[in-house]
Amino acid sequence: MGVGAFIVCRLPPRARPPLRHFAAICALTLLGCAAASAATRAEPWRIDAAHTSIAFRVDAVGFPQTHGHFTRYSGRILLDFERPAKSFTGFTVEAASVEVGSPVFNEFVKGSMLLDADKFPTLSFSSTSVEKVDGRTARVTGDLTMLGVTKPVTLTVSVDNDGSTRSGIISFIAIGTIKRSDYGMVFGIPLIDDALEITVKTRALTDE
Amino acid sequence: MNDSRRVWPLPVKLFHWLGAVLVLGALGLGVFMVQFIDDAARRFELTQTHKSIGVAILGVTIIRLCLRFLTVAPKPEPAAQLPRLAAKFAHWALYALLVIMPVSGWLMTTTTPVRVPTIVFGLARLPYPLAPNVPAYQLAHAIHVASAIAIAALIAVHIAAALIHTLLWRDRTLARILWQPPNDRRIKRAPPASISLCD
Repeated sequence: MGVGAFIVCRLPPRARPPLRHFAAICALTLLGCAAASAATRAEPWRIDAAHTSIAFRVDAVGFPQTHGHFTRYSGRILLDFERPAKSFTGFTVEAASVEVGSPVFNEFVKGSMLLDADKFPTLSFSSTSVEKVDGRTARVTGDLTMLGVTKPVTLTVSVDNDGSTRSGIISFIAIGTIKRSDYGMVFGIPLIDDALEITVKTRALTDE
Repeated sequence: MNDSRRVWPLPVKLFHWLGAVLVLGALGLGVFMVQFIDDAARRFELTQTHKSIGVAILGVTIIRLCLRFLTVAPKPEPAAQLPRLAAKFAHWALYALLVIMPVSGWLMTTTTPVRVPTIVFGLARLPYPLAPNVPAYQLAHAIHVASAIAIAALIAVHIAAALIHTLLWRDRTLARILWQPPNDRRIKRAPPASISLCD
């Protein structure tokens, strides 16, 4: 703004804008700067662990559907309501924390034929783009890393913010399907389905 | 020593009843885990137990077949030829199914793409000699299920026949495999004209 004032003063007298125009230009510039600085910052929200689950399920022929979830993980959620595309989410889960219903079954799923938790202790997801579909839905694309292989995956996210971003609580349900074979997990195919459905439910809180 | 030709030897008796308990257990578990369990973890655990019992049945059956060939069988109870032949057929069919069932189960575990390791009673790992092959797996599975139905039917006939021998004809057929009667006075012999099914 100071630079603008300096340039105006250096113009020949007939080219200088009237004072009231100059004031309007300054005000608009100020507002523009403020808006720009506010929109470039995605705010970090806390993840409410009591309302978070990272789950999956897989079908099999002649065998019940397997449901599982991970109990140890960490995550980040950065939200920008003015520009949703600037939002970010990332999760890292401990493979050894998988729960599929019994200790014997857990050990098998952690084993070398499936998660191979000794060799690949973590699975992770890091979003690369967020696309707002409507007021309650977003499409999040990101890189999923499993068994040392990173591939893009798109999740459909239902957003429930109780009607207001000012309530400080937002619930998310993210659902997506991956092909295990893309990550080198080919055990049991075709009797065990290649498709693995992922459901991440979480609640983000802000202190503001 | 006369008694050894009137009753089955003790090892034959013991392995018969051990086999009976294991077979009823495996059959019951097989039906239960497939038809009544819809939880994946429970089904996984029960399948591992079922496989262990199956391997034990194969071992017991091989021992029983060896004992059978080495044993002097008790003299058959009086019977007409047709019922005696039917009984012989039923018993050898039972032996055959007692081998076919665990072997077809083993073939299932080795040809399935879902190659879950089988650690028999937590002690030894079952070898998987064949490569995964879905059509072979489906054939082994069909044989396993059909044999289960056949053996269940034969067991029902086997038990019914034993009860008929004991309660109706009051001969020594069941006694010979069950206990060593102190004397024969309490057990009436069937009149020669009656028909009894015995081996």
